[in-house]
Amino acid sequence: MPKIIIDNQEIECRDGVNVLQAALEAGMEIPHYCYHPGLKVVASCRLCLMEMQMPHPKTQEMGWVPKLFPSCQTPVRDGMICRFDSDTVKQNQANCMEFFLLNHPLDCPVCDQAGECHLQDYSYHFGHAESRMVDQKLKTPKKDIGPRTLLYSDRCVMCTRCVRFTEEISGTHELCMVNRGSRAEIDVFSGHPLDNPLQGNVVDICPVGCLLDKDFLFKRRVWELNGTSSVCPGCATGCSIRVDQADNHVYRLKPRFNPKVNDWWMCDEGRFGSDYVHDAKRISSPIVRRGLDETTPAWEDMPEILRFRFEEHVREHSGESVVAMLSPFMSCEEGWLLIKFIREIAPNATLAMGPVPMAGEDQSFPAGANGDAVKFTILKEKCPNRKGIEQLIASAGGNTLSFEEFVGQCTEGKFSAGWVVGGYPNEWVDKATAKIASKFQLLVVQDLFENALMAGAAVVLPACAWVEREGSFMNAAGLVQPFERAVQPPDGARHDGQYLYEIAGYTGLYSGERVRELMAESKADLSVAYEAPCKPVHAH
Amino acid sequence: MSWKTLDRNQQAVDPDAPPVLSDAIRDRIRSFFDRYETKRAVLLPALHIVQNTLGHVSWQAMAEIAELLEIHPSDVMNTISFYTHFWTHPKGEKVITVCRSITCEVMGGSAVLDELKQQLGVDEHGTTTDGRYSLVTEECLAGCDHGPCLLVNEKMHKCVKPEDVAKILADSGNDRLSMERSELFDVPAGTSEHALSASSSGDGNIDTTSDVREMRES
Repeated sequence: MPKIIIDNQEIECRDGVNVLQAALEAGMEIPHYCYHPGLKVVASCRLCLMEMQMPHPKTQEMGWVPKLFPSCQTPVRDGMICRFDSDTVKQNQANCMEFFLLNHPLDCPVCDQAGECHLQDYSYHFGHAESRMVDQKLKTPKKDIGPRTLLYSDRCVMCTRCVRFTEEISGTHELCMVNRGSRAEIDVFSGHPLDNPLQGNVVDICPVGCLLDKDFLFKRRVWELNGTSSVCPGCATGCSIRVDQADNHVYRLKPRFNPKVNDWWMCDEGRFGSDYVHDAKRISSPIVRRGLDETTPAWEDMPEILRFRFEEHVREHSGESVVAMLSPFMSCEEGWLLIKFIREIAPNATLAMGPVPMAGEDQSFPAGANGDAVKFTILKEKCPNRKGIEQLIASAGGNTLSFEEFVGQCTEGKFSAGWVVGGYPNEWVDKATAKIASKFQLLVVQDLFENALMAGAAVVLPACAWVEREGSFMNAAGLVQPFERAVQPPDGARHDGQYLYEIAGYTGLYSGERVRELMAESKADLSVAYEAPCKPVHAH
Repeated sequence: MSWKTLDRNQQAVDPDAPPVLSDAIRDRIRSFFDRYETKRAVLLPALHIVQNTLGHVSWQAMAEIAELLEIHPSDVMNTISFYTHFWTHPKGEKVITVCRSITCEVMGGSAVLDELKQQLGVDEHGTTTDGRYSLVTEECLAGCDHGPCLLVNEKMHKCVKPEDVAKILADSGNDRLSMERSELFDVPAGTSEHALSASSSGDGNIDTTSDVREMRES
């Protein structure tokens, strides 16, 4: 590992990185716009320039070279000496900032980026307090460049990150630079708008408020948002994301750096696929039916009621008549708790896997890439935890069924008590599945929305969306990743983990970590979750 | 302009319009494919061929070039906007380029420019109504020792005085080069050069944001 000296401080860096990346990883704040670790280096913004020592051509004596070098384009070399704290470097940063702000409209009060804007931050830390610009500012129009994105040209700093993203990551090439010099602008060819499954990322990597998300536009000031680490449930890739919420409302999802899964990116399907969380049609209170009697008991009584009803059923019939269908939208912890409960009451109960939603084909990016060239994949399997639940069912042993077998055997009337977990964002109960409800004497249905099984169910439990829960998902590659709770469940509902924890016989507050500890005894490989490393604060 | 939003979802090119690139132009572009490793590399020769044949590279021509070279139309727009040489809207048969740099200015360049404007009846970036001349200025024509200088197409006129302007404009051979062009430059064989394109179909009323817009407005 090469060691270099930056500002008289020795830092150890990874092989093959550039000086800027090394400095950022060491926690230094170096201003930069065009450099993004996921994209090619263009060294066009000139903000990260540094001074470097080199041997004098005649005397071979080491000394500061009287010119500046772009630190993003200079690979680290063992023993290298550079500095960012000299007057020359600072002067350059200040001049660059003045230049970037020459034509800037200074419309921060109405800009969505304000609060997380690197023009604001860098201007404050490295810039001049005032501009010497006396001429009229160049005014450029806004552009509606695609169904989900707006481009406010007048705020642009021409870092071309977005253009490189469409070239290198999505491979769709919609964005380009038109004209050069002071009139340079980002644009699309009219009629070929920015419309690809990864386009939302250009808004994330834009260091200023130029590219804006129409979905989030003017919704909320960013400093009012609280971010929570989460995992996208949109497909089996399991991208690391951050859920930004305020007042218990999810405003936006942003990707979180995870070198093992999604790098810096996420797809639009996941990014804009959380609307169902705030759907008014969600069920929020449990229902218990006995004969014609229908009550909504207190949550505290729920574990006892369920345990009693299942025990009563097993006594009257047999343990073999009990079945539980687990959903690939459950977390590993919830799945483990439910299996524990069912198998405790009826050791020979059957476990079934819920339907796994599939849509289209796997999509790889850059468009048309394969093998090592693939930088991002959207899987056709549209659920987060099929693999985790399958492993739990397999390790629990005993009778296990696929979803088709489950529906078939239920239709034959093999089971008379069942626990069916939904949690799918879309309607999942088809006609054949709806018919099985009548075969059960005791049916517990746990779901987000009302479904056709609920009419015949003895107990209806509201399920929660993943942002209201806590636990871990195992993605298609077998990586277990934890996600935290971002918002509270709807009024009256309790998050699945908590009631399953109590039903499984534990007391106190549910926590994903606690259940993983309990799981460690029986399911060691699911009990250790991988958390993506935090990226340095000033890397953006 | 900052309060205006340009709609980029609208088609720049009418999908039902007949193609602007003839088979001859396409064949000529294709003949360059063997020379390079990628089709993308043929972009610059293609732009030259289209501009030399049609006078300018319209939006539709850009889209058709992109299709031919299997690249995105925005890549063509990216490249075309880098070079002031390429015109995205019709230009005159001959382009007069006047130097606006310091040496020519000192030697009376602005008087020559004013005389040209007056005699042609157009401003900078303008095209005469008869379509014969377009007038533009450039930073330096590398003829500082013979200022003021101007170009008619590629022919350099040196030490031009305001009184010479009428004579230059009247001379039908004012763009004839005294030396043959380098072999490196591929003049398309059998095509009439610099013909003003009659077809501007597909050019539409697309809002542009820059020099092009200014040129149109002026």
